[in-house]
Amino acid sequence: MRTGRTSRRRYPRQAASGTNGHRTHDRFAWTGLDLLNGEIVPSLTILLTTKGCSWARRDGCTMCGYIADSNPDAQSSDIQKQLFEVLARYGTGFKIAKLFTSGSFLDQEEVPIDARDAILSALADTPKVIVESRPEFVTSEILDDVVRFNRHLEVAIGLETSNDDIRNGCINKGFTFRDFVRASKVAHSKGLTVKAYLLLKPPFLTELEALEDAIQSTHEAAPHADTISLNLCNVQKGTLVEALWKKRLYRPPWLWTAVEVLKRVKQMATIICDPVGGGTARGPHNCGKCDRQVVSEIKEFSLSQDSTSFTAACTDQLLWNYVLEFEKFSYGAPLVP
Amino acid sequence: MQRQFEVTRRDGAARLGTLRWRGEELTTPSSFESKEELEFLNGLTIQKAELDVAVITSQEDSRAERIDADVVILGGAPRFSDDPRGLTKALARARESANPDSALYVPTLATPNNVSLLVYAGVDLVDPIMAEVKAREGYLLSAEGERQFDAVSRSYCMCDACRGVNVADLTPEQRVTVLSAHNRHALKTELCIVRENIERGTLRELVEARCRTAPMLTALLRLLDEEHSYFERRSPIVRTATLLACSQESLNRPEILRFGERVIERLNKRGGILILLPCSARKPYSRSRSHRIILNRLGKLRQFLHEAIITSPIGIVPRGLEIMYPASNYDIPVTGKWTCDESEWVIGRLTKYLEANAFDTVVAHVSGPYRKVCDEAAAALGVDLIYTVEDENILGSASLQRLCAVVQERIVEDSLKRRDLRFDYLQDLADYEFGPHASTAIFAERTKVRGLFPTYYASDGGTRIATIVGTYCTLALTIEGARRYRRASENRYCVHIDDFVPKGTVFAIGVLNADPGIRPFDEVIVLNERVIAVGRALMSGWEMQASKRGAAVAVRHVDAR
Repeated sequence: MRTGRTSRRRYPRQAASGTNGHRTHDRFAWTGLDLLNGEIVPSLTILLTTKGCSWARRDGCTMCGYIADSNPDAQSSDIQKQLFEVLARYGTGFKIAKLFTSGSFLDQEEVPIDARDAILSALADTPKVIVESRPEFVTSEILDDVVRFNRHLEVAIGLETSNDDIRNGCINKGFTFRDFVRASKVAHSKGLTVKAYLLLKPPFLTELEALEDAIQSTHEAAPHADTISLNLCNVQKGTLVEALWKKRLYRPPWLWTAVEVLKRVKQMATIICDPVGGGTARGPHNCGKCDRQVVSEIKEFSLSQDSTSFTAACTDQLLWNYVLEFEKFSYGAPLVP
Repeated sequence: MQRQFEVTRRDGAARLGTLRWRGEELTTPSSFESKEELEFLNGLTIQKAELDVAVITSQEDSRAERIDADVVILGGAPRFSDDPRGLTKALARARESANPDSALYVPTLATPNNVSLLVYAGVDLVDPIMAEVKAREGYLLSAEGERQFDAVSRSYCMCDACRGVNVADLTPEQRVTVLSAHNRHALKTELCIVRENIERGTLRELVEARCRTAPMLTALLRLLDEEHSYFERRSPIVRTATLLACSQESLNRPEILRFGERVIERLNKRGGILILLPCSARKPYSRSRSHRIILNRLGKLRQFLHEAIITSPIGIVPRGLEIMYPASNYDIPVTGKWTCDESEWVIGRLTKYLEANAFDTVVAHVSGPYRKVCDEAAAALGVDLIYTVEDENILGSASLQRLCAVVQERIVEDSLKRRDLRFDYLQDLADYEFGPHASTAIFAERTKVRGLFPTYYASDGGTRIATIVGTYCTLALTIEGARRYRRASENRYCVHIDDFVPKGTVFAIGVLNADPGIRPFDEVIVLNERVIAVGRALMSGWEMQASKRGAAVAVRHVDAR
């Protein structure tokens, strides 16, 4: 789960169908605004099709369906070609480039070294290049290699939660908080910045447990991360979360819960949030009447870090409050869809 | 461990019970009230204390072993709020997984509208959480369903919370306060009505009324009815309340299906002459004006006849069973027209009845929709029935004359053996209650019948064998009758107890073994080394085996020897 992806990516299987590593620019790259050193700057997001996340190929997380986007035959040349096509179209005048591979950019199995180095060299002048990786690939050795080509890297790690029981019991992430802390230290020691992804509402948690876990995780991750990205869980195809959702045993988080987390933790870290699929049944949602406004306020907050962004009020807050307090008494299912 | 929950009364799968907790006695079915109670119960799922509480998930399959806890919680129930099929399966499975003397708590699902059906399906405990959620969604709940608060007119309700309230004047918070108080009150009121109906044995009638208000609930009841054996295993064989067959679902009531099955499977097979008569409004039929006229006219000819009554929704009622529930007390809307479902059901019953018994002659003294039923059944079997009604008037003198003539004509030498008509009642009841050939085991050639309708009794050489007892018109055996039945019947309708002489009541804890076929209010035989008592079952046989609390048998006679 990562931030920066828009709802265009919500149906990955459809997106991947009929393509063999060759994709149209519009679906796999887009521009936006992001925060860089307190300033709002233009950013370019690029999705790269690789052979897929090493963990997803072997086991996989309960909420992640991105493996469906991968191409088992993706060659180094395919990956490079995708990037250069995007750059040819959008140019290199962006302050931030985000490279999303649906896996670990630093995994040499997934992104072969020549592709990795070519891509990083091409973006050497961009003030910030964000790549994603599982902590096991954030090693001193690999980072020494990559900083030769690009010194403005930010390593984004899907920590999801600081609670090992939740990360491995509910998400099946397959690493520990200590792994994250180690990776973060290594990255910082090489002069790189670190972003931690936190997942709001993994399956099997009540709304209140999810809220408390996100706040606790922010507290614990903040000392090790330059930016925290709060990712609101959405229902992706082919995942355990989807199976639970279809059985009415899972509901994506309320947008109010996200607002509450952002309000309560804002002093601790730079915290950003893009409510992917906000206001839909598969994405984070409220009652339906207030969703649009709350989504836009969350996006606004991500850029301003100013909690006075949050002005929306709706009668469904009374219901949300009640859900927080009483959902646990259902013993395993959300109170409202 | 001392059990903290006891079932005190049953009505199908629904029960009245008492839960002892927090130093109080809670009469179930009931709703928890406060968050404190819910927290307390929640704590008990983790740390066992005064109450043994277990959670089963809505995903689980039936378990090999029953869960032995005071309270069993069906987790994740709100997922079924609009999935009647899933709910049906989950409820039946939860109830079957739990011990019969565990209270079943279904959290966060009950509304005033659906709680009667939940209880009907076997739920003992609910909570007001869904009522509170609906309050926050702006819904005003009642037993008839839900309504958006903004859409209701000013004088919508007379409850304390609503009186004097003007919808338009309220802030969102005040609205929630009013709706929450109203919805909780509506749920409590409905639970009072539900308990009252269980007490009277009429919850099914309430449920048929309530399910009319929402397609989801109608679907739920129809799907529950498909779980026939689940309900049949819990349904009493008799009750005093009148069965009201006002809806399509009434045709699928467990007792109606059971009556139909037993008439075919249990009753002695017959030959000779059968006369089919239409039902009457007054029960038992033989006390009605129409039947009296016909039977008087037949007079002594009746001794050579078998009589059966065609009726919706019961199907076919042999004369001897007219005093047995549900044939003895039911009521249907009479319009002179039958629905397709009704006709089809009755045609099926008649076809099966004629097929199972080898009558030489079938005389149908019927008209209107009954005639159609007879035609269809005869056509299905490829046999000819003799119709005796002229001008659509079953009581017309031409019809009655023809009836007598037809019967007279067909009495053959063989059938000239006269019978005591009162004996039909004893025989049919014996077979109906105790199974095929029970009457042959219990009664002998020389058995004499005495008594006034319908409380006939049978004796053999001065020894009383069996009596039809007043309240429910069931056939009760004496110790002698029980011995005779026992010799022929293995362990059917037997309750085995330890070596003691029961006084008044046998409790479930004292039952070693019981015939799982026993149903509430069945006449049963209590024995250890020998037949020691007879009495009336108060719970099903399988329940006697599995339960640790509650009265199992009300003893009628004891052989104190």
